[in-house]
Amino acid sequence: MNGTQRFRKLAAGVAIATALAGYAHAEVTVLGWPGGPEETALRAAAQAYNALPDTAADEQVSLLFFNRDGFFDKLQADMAAGTDAFDANLLATYSIGRYAPFMEPIELDPGAADVFGDTVLETMQFEGEQYGVPLDLSAHFMYYRTDLIDALLEDESAHARYSAIAEEYLGQAMAPKHPDDWTWDDYVVTSLYFTQAVNRDSPVRYGTVLQMQNLLFNMMVFHSYPRAYGADWMDADGTITVDSDAYRLPLERYKMLLDAGATPRDSLSYEFPEANAAYNSGQVAVMLQWNGAAGELMDPDNAMHAENVAVVAPPAGPEGRFTHIHGLGLGLNENARNPEGARKFLEWLSTEDAAVIYARNSGAPGLTGNALARVADDRPDLVQLGEFASSYGFVMNGGTSASALSVYEAQAQAFTGYWAGTQTLDEALRNVERAMADLLE
Amino acid sequence: MALLMHSLRWLVFLLAAFILNFPIISTVVTSLKSRAEVNANAGLSIQQPTLDNFIQVLTVTDRLNIYGYLQNSLVAAMIGTILPIIICFPIAYAIARRNYGSNILFPLVINLRALPLIIFSIPLYLMYQFMGLLDTRLGLGLILAVINLPLTLLILVNGIHDVPEELDEAAKIEGASLWIILSRVVLPVCRPAVVVTFIFGFITAWNEFLFGLMLTTRDAVPMTVGASFFFSSGGGGIQWGMAAAIIIIAALPPTLLGLVMYRQISRSMLGGAVKG
Amino acid sequence: MNTRIGSQYENPILAAPMIVFLLLLLGFPSLLNIIYSFSAVGFSNIRTPEFQGLQNYQAVFNDPMFWQATRFSLKFATLTALAECGLGLFLAIFLSPLLRQRPWLLAILMMPMMVAPAMMGLMYRLVLHEFVGPLPHYLFKWFGDSPAFLSASNVFTTVFVIETLQWTPFVLLLCYMAYNAINPEIKEAATVDGARPHQLLWYIELPLILPTVAVAFFIRFIDGFRIFDNIFVLTGAGAGGSTTSLSIYIYQTFFRAGDIGKALAASVVLFVVSFLVLFIAIRVLRRGKR
Repeated sequence: MNGTQRFRKLAAGVAIATALAGYAHAEVTVLGWPGGPEETALRAAAQAYNALPDTAADEQVSLLFFNRDGFFDKLQADMAAGTDAFDANLLATYSIGRYAPFMEPIELDPGAADVFGDTVLETMQFEGEQYGVPLDLSAHFMYYRTDLIDALLEDESAHARYSAIAEEYLGQAMAPKHPDDWTWDDYVVTSLYFTQAVNRDSPVRYGTVLQMQNLLFNMMVFHSYPRAYGADWMDADGTITVDSDAYRLPLERYKMLLDAGATPRDSLSYEFPEANAAYNSGQVAVMLQWNGAAGELMDPDNAMHAENVAVVAPPAGPEGRFTHIHGLGLGLNENARNPEGARKFLEWLSTEDAAVIYARNSGAPGLTGNALARVADDRPDLVQLGEFASSYGFVMNGGTSASALSVYEAQAQAFTGYWAGTQTLDEALRNVERAMADLLE
Repeated sequence: MALLMHSLRWLVFLLAAFILNFPIISTVVTSLKSRAEVNANAGLSIQQPTLDNFIQVLTVTDRLNIYGYLQNSLVAAMIGTILPIIICFPIAYAIARRNYGSNILFPLVINLRALPLIIFSIPLYLMYQFMGLLDTRLGLGLILAVINLPLTLLILVNGIHDVPEELDEAAKIEGASLWIILSRVVLPVCRPAVVVTFIFGFITAWNEFLFGLMLTTRDAVPMTVGASFFFSSGGGGIQWGMAAAIIIIAALPPTLLGLVMYRQISRSMLGGAVKG
Repeated sequence: MNTRIGSQYENPILAAPMIVFLLLLLGFPSLLNIIYSFSAVGFSNIRTPEFQGLQNYQAVFNDPMFWQATRFSLKFATLTALAECGLGLFLAIFLSPLLRQRPWLLAILMMPMMVAPAMMGLMYRLVLHEFVGPLPHYLFKWFGDSPAFLSASNVFTTVFVIETLQWTPFVLLLCYMAYNAINPEIKEAATVDGARPHQLLWYIELPLILPTVAVAFFIRFIDGFRIFDNIFVLTGAGAGGSTTSLSIYIYQTFFRAGDIGKALAASVVLFVVSFLVLFIAIRVLRRGKR
């Protein structure tokens, strides 16, 4: 390619870019999460919005989906460089502090608090400002196999074995309980009981499946456990409080379950899909997993024993019952070409009607009140989600800060090192505290 | 004895072919299974073969334009493969024949391959933004050319080294200019090296992911990035059957190209053994 | 060697296209990256980095993870390059008569290279899975047990094998070409002189393709050293960072920790060190040739 040609191509590139910019200006471009139910729901909502009589031609919403792998890394680069390729973009609780410098706070519909409830609205707030309209909510469910648990509860002869296992591993005699009444100790012993390496008569290979890959999302799943013992990232003064009994005990219990063979041996490389695949095989009794897995795990066409899978809230600890929650939502790009149009769409998204449309089209918003009542028949799972989120939902102190993502990463790095046996518990906690002190100062 | 050797060779070949290609065989098998069967039947047999995964991947064009991705990848990868060959060939000659630049320049360029080039993503993003190259095939192609540059240079230098020097000496005595020597004498003789560079370069460019992710958004998204529409490697679900189908589709173009190129290699090798 | 008949500008002209291209594309980015490496810079201030001297370099040198990642990359690169070259060379020579008869067989052996490494990593997540992966499936069926491929103690071996399986074809192709480019007259002459096949191989053929093997080893070493895609998709950074290569370390520092300055300081260190190694290696090699 000679110089002239290269220049021509370059010029053509510029021309195309300019033309596209003009085209994008005529509407509101919204960047969403591709491929899953979130996309289906957002498409339905956008379609409904575009059909409204008072949505003008230059306010029509056009959706942009790129890809899922590396989504947030790319978004970060886009926003840091001040892109104007989209007006509104996806936002997550754990990354809100990181994106806030490149976004602008928005106004929600006055009724939004009645639609979503304050806990859910807070998942989209940073330093007291509302940065996004909440769409999908993620919490954790304890999935369990009713056939296995019922059999255990009914079979008195098994109780002695169960108690012996409790004695051996936790140092106290225990009796089987229904998952509704579980403490984390009950979860641990039940997991051990249903493990063939521990109890040769177990009908399934593993009692549970833990997601232990060095990945920030796995830390979120883990956090519901220490929180039940009162764990937090830092106290009100900003002192890091991770080196505490509330963290130590659950960390040790996870390692115990791994070493006892109660979770698949490859668990250190497991995350969402691997854990689901293990559970779907019918060889695992109980699992703490995202609510988003319910469809897959309870679909008889997809999973063995799907008809026997039920969910409850995560087990309780001395401080109560907790589920880590985070939300996905949409917020306003600081460099938006059409900020007015985007604001109008985002405000509409926070109305009851929009939330109902979103929920009816396979979205998973955390709803309360009238909005929840309107979709309860179609989506009973949302009733459960809303209930769990409002009763047990929590975000760690610092969990929406600018460095929240890095804190999760640092914990994943150190905790998985402890589970793998390359760091002692003290080292791991020390490393986390040091990293967090740097990050959250 | 000869027969025994021959059978042994076949045995080794079959074994190597099976082991090396095991993940690909698994991918093909998975792509022909339904979602339920992926969960229920882990083996390499298929109880109810289905083309659903391929049909879904190829027909959901409203949500994901696989043909557009393939086109983008093809254009960008071609730029990223051919451009470095053109600009490296002259300097490869200078390095191989005259040791020109072989002290500093050569190691400096080769060194680029050791770096995770993604560290250039932010400055490049800013530069591309300024030049209007963001989200264009040309912009992606240019950076793919940078990625391919070190390997291209290395293989070309090696290839030119292997061309007997007497050939260009002879041409020089006959009064041929440098450009004639380069294009009519050296280039034809080291064609296998150029072809190999092309194959490796194309494969690398075609399979590149991170720059495709960072520098495109809507119009120039390459296949590797578009493919991840169906999975997220960290913190999301994976639809195995569809992921497998899209992997197969994505691997077809470089495979076809390879088939054409191996013929080239074989032919040029038969055409004249020059080494030694 | 030094018969420079053409004008004195000939060499610079030959070099110009590549140099100009590199300057155009990487000139500004390199400059900015070097500035970044001496600055406090994260995603919130990429246009306004604050100069702060050597702090990032200090942070890199004091980070045990940096050294762990460097060790991982060196070990991984050495072992995979050795295995790939050994296997590739053997297959190239041993299968050569077969491949010459039926060139299309070569295409089958080249298949693994055609799949993007990231996608290869993804497929291995399925292939190695205890419940849905074919490999454990058959191991359980035939032997009643299957190793935990990705457990802390096995994960290095597993990624080593995965990388070797995918890139042995690369070495195979290079060696196969070099082997077949050997002038048949040399072989004939040696055979006439009474050389036996293994002597022919050891004293004549191997020395002739050794330079190509060296180049192949070198390329595979570099590629192994900067390994990213397949490991990143398969195990992420690994439990406690056990599969963190230098590229993964830099990527994570850059994007996940958002510490651009530190990531670039690590890259500058990597670039300078590897340049020095290459620089010396090339000098030594050339002296060896003379």
